[in-house]
Amino acid sequence: MKKKLVGFLGATLAATMMAGMVAGASEEITVTLGIWPEDTLTDEIAMHEGFLEKMKEVRPDVTYEPAYYKYSTDTFMPMVEAGTVPTVFESWFTEPQKLIKQEAVADITDQLEERGWLDAMNPSIRELLSDENGHVYGVPRDGYALGVMCNKALFEEAGLVDENGVPQFPQTWDELLETAKTIHETTGSAGLCLLAKDNAGGWHFSNIAWAFGATLVTENEDGSFTANLASDEAIAAMEYVKELVDAGVLTADPTSEDWGTGFTQLATGGAAMYIAANDAVNQPTQANGMALEDLAMCAIPAGPGGQFSLSGGTPYMFSKDATPEEINAALDYLEIMGKTPIVTDDVVAGLEADAQMRKDSGIPVIQKFPCWINQDFLDAETKTIEENANVDPALYQSYFDAVSSDGLRTEEPGQTQDMYAELTKVLQAVITDADADIPALMQTANDNYQAILDNPVVAEAE
Amino acid sequence: MKKKTKFKRRDLISWLVMLPSLILFTFYIWEPLLENVRLSLYSTIRYQTVNFVGLANYARVLKVPDFKAAFVNTFSYTFWSLVIGFFIPIIMAVLISETVHMKSFFRVGVYFPNIVPGLATIWIWNYFFTPGPTGVLNILLGKIGIEPFVWLNNTKWTIPLIVVTMTWKAAGSTALIYMASISGISADLYEAATIDGASIWQRIRHITLPSINGLARTLLIMQVISVFQILYEPMVLKNGGPNNASISLMMLVYRFAFRDSDFAGAAALSVMICIILIILSGVYMKVAKKKEEY
Repeated sequence: MKKKLVGFLGATLAATMMAGMVAGASEEITVTLGIWPEDTLTDEIAMHEGFLEKMKEVRPDVTYEPAYYKYSTDTFMPMVEAGTVPTVFESWFTEPQKLIKQEAVADITDQLEERGWLDAMNPSIRELLSDENGHVYGVPRDGYALGVMCNKALFEEAGLVDENGVPQFPQTWDELLETAKTIHETTGSAGLCLLAKDNAGGWHFSNIAWAFGATLVTENEDGSFTANLASDEAIAAMEYVKELVDAGVLTADPTSEDWGTGFTQLATGGAAMYIAANDAVNQPTQANGMALEDLAMCAIPAGPGGQFSLSGGTPYMFSKDATPEEINAALDYLEIMGKTPIVTDDVVAGLEADAQMRKDSGIPVIQKFPCWINQDFLDAETKTIEENANVDPALYQSYFDAVSSDGLRTEEPGQTQDMYAELTKVLQAVITDADADIPALMQTANDNYQAILDNPVVAEAE
Repeated sequence: MKKKTKFKRRDLISWLVMLPSLILFTFYIWEPLLENVRLSLYSTIRYQTVNFVGLANYARVLKVPDFKAAFVNTFSYTFWSLVIGFFIPIIMAVLISETVHMKSFFRVGVYFPNIVPGLATIWIWNYFFTPGPTGVLNILLGKIGIEPFVWLNNTKWTIPLIVVTMTWKAAGSTALIYMASISGISADLYEAATIDGASIWQRIRHITLPSINGLARTLLIMQVISVFQILYEPMVLKNGGPNNASISLMMLVYRFAFRDSDFAGAAALSVMICIILIILSGVYMKVAKKKEEY
């Protein structure tokens, strides 16, 4: 018995070693796909299974392994240390610069250059995904520009639609206040869902501040930054927020509202308007059950200083441990998904599959904010969207007119998250304290932010 | 000589028995603790140390504008948790111990909130504390004609109300410990006191409370250590707001580590929290010992 056992173990060991040698000899490339959809999104999984089938023809030498990973700040860095980050994963728009500085993602400049994709990337998005030396670390999944999402049913109930049933979108912040008042008085719902729980509050507020003519931080010639949160324009923008608070047109507790609850408020009729971006149209509809025809979108209103929308991009990024071959294989997968500037029959099929999935899931198929600027790709994308349109374009026209104008701005430079945090604190004070001294609060926020800018993290590697 | 060898062998067995615990302690507690101290003295990229920078991370953390608010608030949490949360479990334990009928029902009842997951507790209370006419508490108050209150949005009330939610959740388990201690008090003492004509309050004052005094002291310092590290309650309820009214030191640690990936800063602040707690525990023990001597 004992002999038999030893023999069996010996044979198993030998077989394992031989298998290892064979595997080593063929040097098969394995790509783990962190971009695989989560289990509940069956339509999206079916779409990706179709992509996998296609990849078997295009890259038979590569094994693609689904490895769903939802990026989160508390799991990512430990995964980097442990070497378990998927080859390609999706991050948030706030993260690229941080991940680049922490050397946590792969430099993919060479791969993009070989493919000739570098110049096709929308320059403002490319900047967000690059370090100070121009090295690029990501591929944009979607571009976005903030606008105002509207609950059309509430606009109808308040009588704020034209003869074609299109909401009468507010053109200025003053008009937005009046619209919000009318909706609140007639429907009882909040006119606007303003965020003030976390940094998203400051993120949204920067759009209002720009409309009032503010520039919140300036970069000096020596590379340092000067905070500018206490300017007359920024204070005027915060005074405007106070008007919204005093008018009682906001949700019950804006200090409990964050990015996710905002969509819930909009979708469930808790609020009629919400600042959000075009790449998040799945949130009110697919995630929160809003009827497709009830969603409309307009531009961020204008103020005395002009009309501005914050724009950026949600990136695909790559494990720092990925080899150039693995990165290339992952880029091939993105190509089949229609997320790169290449136009082939397979790519068009990928774009079609994406549009079809959106239709099936009740997500608006609308124009995209261009990540890539080569005309053939833009034409192919537009054609697919037009052919699969499932919403009335008039409901989104004012938004797309505005974001194709000059009013697009990227995030302010400097330690932006800290700036948002300081602005959010002021928003919270304005919302919770009827006697809030706005100039003093903005001055404190400015001083705090300047202290953070002057007190950066201890120097890194020499 | 023979005796000595025997002694060694017995010693070895004892060490072997302890070995698994020692390995686990070293691996999960002591090594990370020491590594954290080392991390706090270096500049870092991710978790990797780069250059020795001495106390620069500590100086930087102290200069962060939110530090002062977090520091003061953390002491405020501790203070309010003692005012609100320290005596309630004792009162519950004494009352339930004195109860004759349905004792088990009350025992399960007070422990019940403890089995609700922490985040669920927070969300339940969040619905209760919603300001305006849609909040549960405001709806209830509205029934008796009282105007809606802003609850957590009144910065003077934010911390005490968060402590109320924590007490609601945790008091039951602490009360169980007190109940166990009370049940260990000899019934003879109570009988003798009753025969001598002692009232229920006199029995509690002269028998029950002195008997649980030692336990209460231990639980007090444990409560201080635990509440000083408050993190998820203010983070989920108000994200430290409104305007820093509920931010805690551990929330700052979390922000350094996971929002900014500044692990050196997070390590430095963690070491500072540890030092504060060691000092607090030391002072408390000294005061308690002096009191005992008198």
